[in-house]
Parts: sequence; structure tokens; C-alpha cells
Amino acid sequence: MFQHGIASGDPLPTAVVLWTRVSPTKEATPGSGRGPRTTVRWTVATDARMRSVVSSGTTTTTAALDHTVKVDVRGLRPATTYHYRFSVGKVTSAVGTTRTAPAPTARPARLRFGVVSCANYEAGFFSAYRHLAGHRLDAVLHLGDYLYEYATGTYAMGQANAVVRKNDPPHEIVTLSDYRRRHALYKRDPDLQALHRRVPFICTWDDHESANDAFSTGAENHDPATQGSWSARRRAAYRAYDEWMPVRLSGTAKVGDGSQIYRRFTFGRLAELSMLDLRTYRNAPGGTFTQVPNRDAASRSIAGPEQLGWLEKGLATTESQWKLVGNPVMIAPVRVPPLPNRIRDAIEDTEGLLPAEGVAYNTDQWDGYTAERRRVLEFLADHNVTDTVFLTGDIHSGWACDLPTNAGLYPLSTTVATELVCTSVTSNNLKDILGVPPRTLSTLVETAIFGANRHVRYLDFDSHGYSILDVTPARIQMDWYAISDRARKDATSQWVQSWEVPASSQRVRQAQRPSEGAA
Amino acid sequence: MSGQEVSRVTRRTLLKGAAAGGAVVLSGVAGAPWAQGASVSDRRVYVLVIDGCRPDEITPESTPNLHRLRTAGRWFPNARAMPIAETLPNHVMMMTGVRPDRGGVPANSVYDRATGAVREVGESTDITFPTILERLRERKLTTGTVLSKDYLFSVFGTRATYRWEPFPLLPVTDHALDQFTMSALRAMIMRADPHMVFANFGDIDRFGHSDLTGPNVQVLRRTALASTDAHIGQFVTWLSTRPRWSSTTVMVLADHSMDWSQPDRFISLTKAFAGNPVLSGAFAIADNGGADVLTYIGPAARRDAAIAEARRVAAGVPGVLSTRTTAELRLGAKAGDLVVFCKSGYRFSDPQVFSNPIPGNHGHPATEAIPFFLTGGAVRPAVLSDRAATLDVAPSVGAIFGLPAPRGGYDGVSRV
Repeated sequence: MFQHGIASGDPLPTAVVLWTRVSPTKEATPGSGRGPRTTVRWTVATDARMRSVVSSGTTTTTAALDHTVKVDVRGLRPATTYHYRFSVGKVTSAVGTTRTAPAPTARPARLRFGVVSCANYEAGFFSAYRHLAGHRLDAVLHLGDYLYEYATGTYAMGQANAVVRKNDPPHEIVTLSDYRRRHALYKRDPDLQALHRRVPFICTWDDHESANDAFSTGAENHDPATQGSWSARRRAAYRAYDEWMPVRLSGTAKVGDGSQIYRRFTFGRLAELSMLDLRTYRNAPGGTFTQVPNRDAASRSIAGPEQLGWLEKGLATTESQWKLVGNPVMIAPVRVPPLPNRIRDAIEDTEGLLPAEGVAYNTDQWDGYTAERRRVLEFLADHNVTDTVFLTGDIHSGWACDLPTNAGLYPLSTTVATELVCTSVTSNNLKDILGVPPRTLSTLVETAIFGANRHVRYLDFDSHGYSILDVTPARIQMDWYAISDRARKDATSQWVQSWEVPASSQRVRQAQRPSEGAA
Repeated sequence: MSGQEVSRVTRRTLLKGAAAGGAVVLSGVAGAPWAQGASVSDRRVYVLVIDGCRPDEITPESTPNLHRLRTAGRWFPNARAMPIAETLPNHVMMMTGVRPDRGGVPANSVYDRATGAVREVGESTDITFPTILERLRERKLTTGTVLSKDYLFSVFGTRATYRWEPFPLLPVTDHALDQFTMSALRAMIMRADPHMVFANFGDIDRFGHSDLTGPNVQVLRRTALASTDAHIGQFVTWLSTRPRWSSTTVMVLADHSMDWSQPDRFISLTKAFAGNPVLSGAFAIADNGGADVLTYIGPAARRDAAIAEARRVAAGVPGVLSTRTTAELRLGAKAGDLVVFCKSGYRFSDPQVFSNPIPGNHGHPATEAIPFFLTGGAVRPAVLSDRAATLDVAPSVGAIFGLPAPRGGYDGVSRV
């Protein structure tokens, strides 16, 4: 009945979204549009044995919802761990654990978040999720590319494009049924199920939840001639996301009543988290340098004026110390110096960076929308917004960067924020595309990027894994963990490196040990 | 203490105390004890203002002593100066615990309707609310001021039991170097041992303003940071050897931070208003570096229209960040009608385009983040996300000495 697992998400001080999908009959397969109306009971308790029940109720789901269930449980206590489960008749789900956010005026001494992005099913096993589930966490921040849209064998593992495990459906997903089936495939993954069961997620989407390099009126990986209108495809993608993810779109857990995913979470006076949507409102394609002749044009928008104003207002008025920004694509400027052609091509393939005779930019990131980036960084400077940390995914590599208002003058320029970027869960990184062992050719690229971008302080082009963000009033620390082999189900996990941002410094610096176990 | 009592206090009784580095001239209330003062309380509080220090300037490398003290102390990394982020209003807010609409000092510089001229708000009579300096004295506790800038000495006048008049003043910066300020502070403690001393160290601010090595290199500024850091480190180490260390609190904070502009990045509202039939000659402008304080001086009937037009025109001037009414900012009538803030990297230069040539400025929101921490034998280490403010100094000092809130209450809160 509950073969797609259970999940929770979007924790507020007194509410959390619970999610599951039921399979009431054999015909009620994901994306089939078949199966009976089903009544599902949900229960929330303060103990894992579900004896101290604090809230419960029933809801119904149908084929119109692809038999997914989303409940926004209210009336809970702040900063409290709860247990929950679903049942249909006498069949019960596993018991999950979730946690509410601290009260708005609370002063939590510590928060811990898992930080992940870019999980490509065909490129490997999600061991990163399994190992992350072993950590004590308040929530997992998923920064996008939760799933990939490609057909089997078109974007898999490494240089040989080896399919570690096959997609469903096997073709590129375009219709609502396709997107539902792909979500269902991912939700069957045992490692992802374990993590969802263990901790609430706070998610935003990047491009692959719809199609590669998406923007408001199209995508690099969308052909209207053969795949229909972009608006219809995106509508299908967002609908399936709304059904299958424990999120509130447009402020509610009700499916189909809106698609605004940018939203804000407050964790007492310690931190506030603004989750961005950098695909829906981007008014021009990112893509490669050649596609973007004028990346500095004031008319190019990655966030849209409404979202940008919302972000700025939140940053300027919050009472919370740390301003975390869930940022699907990198905001730090990245300039790539001349590189050998083989490496250059690999970077282009993997990271979307395009060296152009010594000057290169990933124009699918904020680098392709420099006017808006400048607006954000100047806003931080003008309003003296301190302790802002951008948390980023997308680029399949680990980074720690200072964000100066004038990168050309760094380190003498004023630094107004920092950026911490997690690696991919499985999606190809530079060494995978080059087909070389770790810490060989990619270290040359890292060194070259350090040389051309002095505000980039840490860079790891080789690892797959997850990060942990440990937040205290004194500092924020990101720990990067790498898995041993994404092609193995039993991959191990190892700490790689940690960087911290001391409070009120607006600068990253290396930390000597991972945060867990810290005083 | 009433105004009459203040006026009876001898401004400079010229009592000399020997101190390391030479003779330091201190003055005091007539009759105040000079050798190991009153024993009403064993508690001691020293409020040290590092004028103009940015919180991101406190690092293990550049200011190791401040960094060490902050790490071991009660630290508020989210702390802010209050608008207008200038020296006089924030020092007065520290000592009163109330906003300028109650405290009387909204800016460094305002237009004075009585005299018809722009003036510094640095007269003792400008403060309209009891300061903690006087309120402690009413409880038979002794207080001291050691303030490196002449206008700070003037504005607090004779409110403290013991005072040091800054000397010698540097001709360009018009302040006493930190080494002299620190000598005076030590001399005051050794000679009179006040229960609470309010000290200002001006080097970092003054050398930040005038550093012509540019906004990025800041040779003078960085040198001043290292020097002030050493002075404060040595001072706290010295305090820790004194008998009352276990009941001592040292509050370290800044009154505002600092921002730098390129020579050509200035804003002249006088110029922007010129030729506009509604605005020309209708406003007196008091330049406060990062904030212009505007007072309407035209016919009363046209006031509302002129203010609306001034906001419209100012908003269109490159470099202007925002326009706020003085009521919104709780600045009081002395501040006139409007405050125009600049963006980071700009400065105001009014009334003439050459009136303000200095690169370092503050007063605008870009300069509101400040360092703020407590250290000392009476302080338990903690790091707190609360948005502490300069306003919180008086309530904190009051709490340490068990002083009740003043009539009408504080606008700040205790951070101890």
C-alpha cells in the first residue's frame, strides 16, 4: 500500500506537511490515472510507538491526485520532534519522524541541516541520502535537481554514460503521466525513502524537475516541434511536483492551487531561510556563453522583480541573525582562465562553463544575469545586511566562496555575504566526464580557478555526497562528505573538508574538523 | 540630578593625577572623593566605544586582542547602531537608553531654527533625558567620562562625577590619540576608581575618515586598528589584575561602522534642488556624511507639497538609497523633517560639492552593523543572536547596578 514511502516537509513552528502515496489496487500505478478513491488516516504522536497521539484525521485521495496524500498538520508545538504514520484500513505505513521549527522568538543554540542536490537515478545509487539519514538533523535542504528528466542512457554515469539503474519511464518525461512515473521511481529508492522517513525536507526545484536549463518560456532540453508547448510541459512538471513532494506551493499543501515555490522559513532568532525559484521567472535562457551575447543586460532577469523584492524585504527586515538563502544556482562570479581543450570541453559538458579564449562564465548561473546579481549584492551592502549565506546546488561540485561587491578588487573589496555549494548526490562531476581518477586533472582546473577567482576559497570537482550545515550564533559551518562509489549500493561515506563563516565576518575560512561532536 | 545641580558643578577643577606617560588632567564634581572612591558597590563597569569600528574588522589576524575578548565574552554578532549612525546620537543613546525623540540628539549636525544656521548637536543642553551618568550619581555611585573627541566631551558636559577633557587634540582629526585616551582612562581608575566609566577611542574612526590611501588599501585605518586593539588588550589585562576583577564588566562596542566612497561618488541635494521652484531655498540641509538632514524653512502653507517634492527629487538622485521622515526614525523635532540616506559607496556633500571631500563616511544604513560584546570577570561567555543596539548600554549598566528604569522606561533593553 505504501510502497512509495512517507515523507514530511516545510516545517513551521506549529505545522508540518506529511506526505505519502497509496497503491489501493494493482491498477493504481503512478501516472496510470486509474484506481479507486481511497480514504487515508494520518496520525501524529510524540512517541515512536504512536501511543501519545496529538493529532489525527482522515483524508481522501483519488487517481486525479495520482493517489498521493498531503496533509498540513497544524496545532503542533514548536521545536518538537514528532512521529507520524498513515493507514488505509488495517494497513499502516512505517512510522516517520519529523520536527517543527522553533518559535519565531526562540533562541535555539544550534540548528543542523542536511544539504543536497543533483540526484541522477541512472548515474548511481543514492548512498549519500542513506548516510545523511544517520546524522542528527533538523531538516534537509534540497536545492534542486531532485530528479532528472532524461531518457534512459542519455545522461547516466561517467564518460561511458553507463546506466547504473534504468529510468522509468524509459523515455524523456514530457507529460503529466511521465513526470508522475519518474517521481514514483525516485520515491521507490530505499535510501531516499530512509531519509524522507527520518527528517523533514525543505525543497526547491532547479531545472531538471522540468527540463534542462529551463527558463520562463522554454528550456534547452525542450523542442516545441516534437514535445508540444513548453507551458504545458512545465505545468505537468509542476503539477507532479506538487503531488509528489512534501512542499507547500503558493503557501498551501493543497494540490493544484498554485505553483509559487519561493517561500521563507524562520528558525527563531537564529536563522531565516529564503528558498528561491530561479527557473520560473527567468526571462531569458542561460545556457552557454555563445547563447548569451549580453549577459550583463539590465533586462536579463533570473529571479524576477517580484521574487527579488520579496527576497530583499526579507533580508532587510528579519529579526533572525543568519540569513540563509536556498539558491539553486551559484551566485559567486566564476571566471575560467584558458585551459586545454579536453578539459575545457569537459567543464562545458559538466558544469555549463564555457571558456571563451580565457574568459568564461557559467551563464546559466547568476553569472548570466549580472545586473540582478549586482542588485542583490549592493542591496546587502546598502542595508548592511550581515551574516547572509547562499546555499547552493546545481554545479556537481563543492565550493566555499566569499561574495565581494567588487570581485576584481578582492580581497581588498568589501565582502557582503558568502556562498557554500554542495556536491551532487550522483550526477557527473568533472572527473567523471574526463574519465580520470580523483585528484588528478581536476586539481589543475581547481588551481586555475583559484588563480582567477581569489574569492573562491574551496573547490572540489571530484566528490559525490552530501553536506551538513551546522548553525550556531557564533558561526555557520558546512561539512562536506563524500561517498566512496556511486555505482555501489553499499558505498561508504567519508568526511572531506569543512569551512565555516564566523558571525559578522562575511568570510569563509577552513575549519579543522566536522561539526558533529563539536561543543 | 537636576539641571541646576549640573550647572553648579565646577566644569574643570583641574585636579591632576599622575599617570603612566605623563600628567593627565582630570576634573571632577566639587567634593568628589579622589582616592579609591565610594564603597557603595564593588561592581565596576567600563563602557569602551571603539569609534567607527566595523564588526568584520575584528579578526584573529588584525585585532587579536579584541577577537580573544569577544570569543571569551558575551557577544552579540547581530548588533546595530541606531539611526542616524553618527557619533553624537549613538553615544547619547548609549548613555540615555532612549531614542532621539526623547534623548534630544538626533544627528551630529542639524539646522537650528532659533539661530537659522546648521550647527553641531554638541552642547550639554542638547541632551534632554537623564543619562546613566547622572542617574548612578543619584544613587551615590561615581561615574567617569574619558572621551577622545571634543564634541563628545562637550555634549556630556559635567554629567559624570569625573571627566577628562581630551588633550592634546590632533589638528586635522580634532581628537586625542588613543594612547592619550587610554592613559587618561587608567589615571582616572587609579585616582578615583569610578563605579562606571564611559570611554571613547577615536583613532579608528578618525583615521578611517581621512585615510587617503583609498577605500581598499586603508593603511592608516589598519594601523589604527592594530594600535587600538593593543591598547584595549593591555587595558583589560591590567584590569584583570585589579582587586575587583570578579565584579567587573567591560562593554565593548562601536557607535557606528564606516563606509568609503570614491572621490566622484558624492551627492549634493543642494544642487539637485536648485532650479526647482518648489524646492529652491525651501530646505536647510545639514550634512551628516551618509545622511542629509533636511529642515523645511519655507512658508507653512507649502510645507506638505515641498516635502513630497523633496522626496520625489531625492529619490531620483544617483546614489540616494531612501528618504525617511524624522517621525519614522523617531528623531524628534530637532532633526527637521526628512532624512535622506545614501547607498554604500557614496557620501553627501552639502551645501557645496566640495563641502565633504573625505572618503570615509557613516550615518547611512550601510554603517549600522557594529561590534558589541561584554567581557570581564563578571561576564559569562555566550554568543547571542539578539539584535542588540547602542540603546542597550544604559539599560545594561542600570541592570548591573540595580537601577530602576527611568520615567517612561528605556527604549533599549538590558543585555546582561
